[in-house]
Amino acid sequence: MWNQARQALNESMGRLLSQFVNLLPGIVALIVALLVAALVAWVLALIVKRSLTGIRFDQRLAGWGLPLAEWSPSKSPTLLVTRVVSWVVILIGFLIGLASFDAALTSQLVHSLFAYLPNVLGALLVLLFGNIIARFLARSVLIGAVNMNLQYARLLSVGVKWLVIVLAVAMALEHLKIGAGTVQLAFGILFGGIVFALALAVGLGSKELVTRSLEREASKPSTEAVEEPFRHI
Amino acid sequence: MELDSIPEHARKRMDQIGAGDLVVGILAQNGQVDAIPMIREALQTLPGVPRTVVIQNNGAPRPASNEAQAADHNSAAEEQPPFVVSWRLSASDPLTVPVQNMSEAYDSIFAAAEKLGARACCVVASNLESLTSRWISQLTQPLLEMDFDLVTPCYAHHKFEGLINSSIICPLSRALYGKRIQNPMGPDLGLSGRLLEKVVGTSSLAKAASNRMHPLVSIAPSAIDGSFRICQSHLGTRLYPATDWTNLSNLLAQILGPVFLGMERNTVAWQKTRGTQPVAVFGEPAPLSAEMGAVDVHRMLESFQLGTRNLQDIWSLVLPPGTLLGLRKLAVLSPGQFRMPDELWVQIVYDFALGHRQRTISREHLLRAMTPLYLGWVASYALELETAGGSAVEQRLERLALAYEAAKPYLVSRWRWPDRFNP
Repeated sequence: MWNQARQALNESMGRLLSQFVNLLPGIVALIVALLVAALVAWVLALIVKRSLTGIRFDQRLAGWGLPLAEWSPSKSPTLLVTRVVSWVVILIGFLIGLASFDAALTSQLVHSLFAYLPNVLGALLVLLFGNIIARFLARSVLIGAVNMNLQYARLLSVGVKWLVIVLAVAMALEHLKIGAGTVQLAFGILFGGIVFALALAVGLGSKELVTRSLEREASKPSTEAVEEPFRHI
Repeated sequence: MELDSIPEHARKRMDQIGAGDLVVGILAQNGQVDAIPMIREALQTLPGVPRTVVIQNNGAPRPASNEAQAADHNSAAEEQPPFVVSWRLSASDPLTVPVQNMSEAYDSIFAAAEKLGARACCVVASNLESLTSRWISQLTQPLLEMDFDLVTPCYAHHKFEGLINSSIICPLSRALYGKRIQNPMGPDLGLSGRLLEKVVGTSSLAKAASNRMHPLVSIAPSAIDGSFRICQSHLGTRLYPATDWTNLSNLLAQILGPVFLGMERNTVAWQKTRGTQPVAVFGEPAPLSAEMGAVDVHRMLESFQLGTRNLQDIWSLVLPPGTLLGLRKLAVLSPGQFRMPDELWVQIVYDFALGHRQRTISREHLLRAMTPLYLGWVASYALELETAGGSAVEQRLERLALAYEAAKPYLVSRWRWPDRFNP
């Protein structure tokens, strides 16, 4: 009986060891793939960083009004791009390493990942352009409102910015197929709510405020008459 | 260059006329004023009565008796000089349209003058109600009799008129190009045939390279750079268009945009210029109009303070921290103490020009964001000169011009090395 038990133990040990030995090349391949990917990522990151610094990428982005700096580590879009490049290369290395274990599982994983990629890219683009448009509009509204002497210029500008951002986020989430119905509903409620709240605020809540403001405007002496001596061109 | 923009009937008419010694362009439109008799009167004062062609803007209806309309239908042979050619030079009245839109009108007149082989060309864009025969003779005499190439105007204006010119264009142009010209951008001016050739040539090249510039911005720098002879003539009183306060930022952007663009195009010329020289002045300066008494700058101060509260983020993209601090200190002063130092104002203008060049933010946003700062300067200037007379105003503007000159090394340095640390 002891012999049989020893034999069973030896066999299970042998099976475990052979399975481990079978896995070993895969693990080594994964580690090697990760190491090579990390090396390639480091070299690529170095090249990308130097190139972007050379063309003054951060300043150019700021000039174009792209808001990447706020989302970047150390407020540097160059650093953000460099890190994205490194992590993409490392991810590719990881997938290559994973393929050495089970090609079928990896190809399935890669296939579904690639199938979802257009959605991610689309959502990212929507977010990026939504942000650019939001900032551009917010800045336009702010400057315009200040030049029109509106005391609530900042409020208007922030309102416009967030309306566009909320719209962009809702569109991006729909693109990602994340809670499409919920997002639509939530957006509808939020957007409608804001408009309704504003209408109520102006129509009811701020009736007196608006009246006072209009009265103040009406009682102001005519600008033309007051500042007539000034001619600019 | 702009011959294509001249309608067929006007080109035929010019072919009929053949050639002209003097071309007078009338850009302004006024249904009640006929400029032709004034031009005829002015021509009598010129030597040898030059063969004159008047180009009129017929974008607006004129009196039925206007000779110009009749002249269009007559042959040049039957007509008494001056010969009149008229077409729609600009869609609207130049007094209300920002300068940028007048670019094509100026170009068309210059092209027509070159086609006619004119020895001299003068353009009147101001309100015709202020036009007298003296204006025409003062703008053309130095060209035809004294061999000058560019005649710029000097107007008798009130201290609070022509403020964009007084605060930015005149002192900036003086500091950059080294000539003390009171109104470098006219809008009324006279050009010799030689300068006309250069202006038309430059404009054609620019158009071919699709980077054309407003002619009013490029004329004075071109003349200075080409060592042409420049003078100024006292024309008398000019009627300035009333301020449209709701459109002031638009106006400022449309005027300063081409000015800053001109700085980029003429970098080599202004960076090598050192010091300033006066230019010859003709005519008697007319006395300034009467005192206006107290002025209300409340709205302008409010706009400046509102800008300081809300536009810091945008200003900080172009202005250094020291300037921003100066503005914040200024914003808390009471109207009685509110004075914007010349050095601060000059640095603001230079930094905005640099920001425009570097495209730190959208150029439209940048120029519009300057409006509260400009109004702050106007308020400070108005409070300072509320009761001042003519000579005090001149001294004040001279001090401002000197401040522009003193700060020019700062502009040159930052233009060359924009990334250098700037506290």
